[in-house]
Amino acid sequence: MNTGFLVLEVKRVGRARQFWIGALFFPTVLYLMQANLFRGDIADRVGVDFSEYLLGSLAAWAALFVALNIGSRVALERATGWQRQLRITPLSPTSYLIAKLTASLVVALPAITAVAVTGGLLEGVRLPIVGWLQLILGIWVGSLPFALLGVFIGQIASADSVQALTSISHMLLGVLGGAMFPVVAFPEWMQRVSAIIPSHWLAVIGRSPFEGDSSVGLSALVLAGWTVVLGTAVTLRYLHDSAQD
Amino acid sequence: MNNAVGATVAEPTGRAAGPPAIKVSGLYKSFGDVRAVDGIDLQIASGEVVAVLGPNGAGKSTLIDMVLGLTRPDRGEISVFGNTPREAITRGVIGATLQEGALLDDVSARELLTMAASLHARPQPIEEVLRITGLTGLADRRTRLSGGQRQRLRLAMTLVSNPRLLLLDEPTVAMDVEARQLFWASMREFTDGGRTVVFASHYLDEAEDYADRVVLIRSGSVIADGTVPEIRSVVAGRSLSATVPGANAEHLRELPGVVTVEARGDHFDLVCADSDAAARELFARFPRAHDVEIAAISLEKAFLALTSAEGGETR
Repeated sequence: MNTGFLVLEVKRVGRARQFWIGALFFPTVLYLMQANLFRGDIADRVGVDFSEYLLGSLAAWAALFVALNIGSRVALERATGWQRQLRITPLSPTSYLIAKLTASLVVALPAITAVAVTGGLLEGVRLPIVGWLQLILGIWVGSLPFALLGVFIGQIASADSVQALTSISHMLLGVLGGAMFPVVAFPEWMQRVSAIIPSHWLAVIGRSPFEGDSSVGLSALVLAGWTVVLGTAVTLRYLHDSAQD
Repeated sequence: MNNAVGATVAEPTGRAAGPPAIKVSGLYKSFGDVRAVDGIDLQIASGEVVAVLGPNGAGKSTLIDMVLGLTRPDRGEISVFGNTPREAITRGVIGATLQEGALLDDVSARELLTMAASLHARPQPIEEVLRITGLTGLADRRTRLSGGQRQRLRLAMTLVSNPRLLLLDEPTVAMDVEARQLFWASMREFTDGGRTVVFASHYLDEAEDYADRVVLIRSGSVIADGTVPEIRSVVAGRSLSATVPGANAEHLRELPGVVTVEARGDHFDLVCADSDAAARELFARFPRAHDVEIAAISLEKAFLALTSAEGGETR
């Protein structure tokens, strides 16, 4: 495990101001907008207090939004030749991956917390301290497969196409997974599709302190599965990326 | 010119025991219809400083990429200190400066070097590397560096890894004369300790000043391989062309200072190491010689001359 590369990666995301602005404000604003826009019918159908329901979902979306954005920066590093440069050093694929994931986690934690704090202060959401920890830390750890997905997008996209691919992923994962908008607002078939989308399970973890849901274990299992699959894909891709045939 | 110049596997110099730094045999690589590397055999002993020269598109970069494991050969074997390229990279014995190798714009030189040093078991002290490469004053700046400064930073990244083998792909391309001198001064200071250095270049004077062996590559093949004086004697030579009635190529090859002869009827094109001596003797032996022209020889012409030189190999 190489810490020098990890430290550099964390420093770099720390300096990327545009990510911090997006990470802290975008999910928070989306939360406040929806909490005040959707009233009545939709809000009544979610089963728990609407502000609470949204808080869990959008804190999850904040995590995946950040994770995809940070990971997909790899596309630019490939375009500039930085990846090639790393390939001729003894840096192991494992160290590379751990550094990328850590960088994503470093930004994801404040992004999740920002939504939680907004809910607590402005929307009157109340939870015991254990509940808050479950919400924040659960989503935080659960964002790992999305960080891997971001890296994977960065590995297969070009510098030109990465922006579009990342945005599409934000939308698909956010909308279909029910993290960005309340899934109860959708027709029946979309709610069923939602169940196979990994972000659905991250949102379930986010709402679990409010819903008293017992499917946290299942969510963790599904997300762990995605982590293994995407982790393998990213490692293989890293090993073969720079070797032109 | 002697038989040492030829597209053959060079004899190990015996300067160091153990496996050769680089051993390449029967190497081929095509990109589509283009044969980038077309059958190269090359052995570089530990401790040698070798210049790989050739015109653009000769296959130098492809060869270096394959030695680094960045490009997979179609055919052939490569070993680096007896290991595969990938193993050699993982063990940290190779340090390479790629052409236009990428740097990061959001970190300082010191941060970049600290990271590079952390990847290696016995890195060179960062302050020392900054001093050697003349970057001490710029170490903590996070603004964009100039072209020459960036290239010195690339070199610093390579040096900090303290490698046994340095592979430099056109390290001074796009540098002005002053920057080039500074670069090679840094290199000399660093490699005094008997490291193996292989650099690709199309500047002949760099090879002359710095390498003890020169490998000439053209169209993906090694066309000549010898010491600097051997290569230089041809490349520094002049071309002499003349119409010499009644002479044949054999006669002219016997003239002093002549390296190669090409005949077209009565007209002869000579490559001379000493064109004055050759011209004097030409007039003495063949008073009817006329239309004599003596001109400086181009590097390209020298390469061509070498392919047909005695002991050289024509493919």
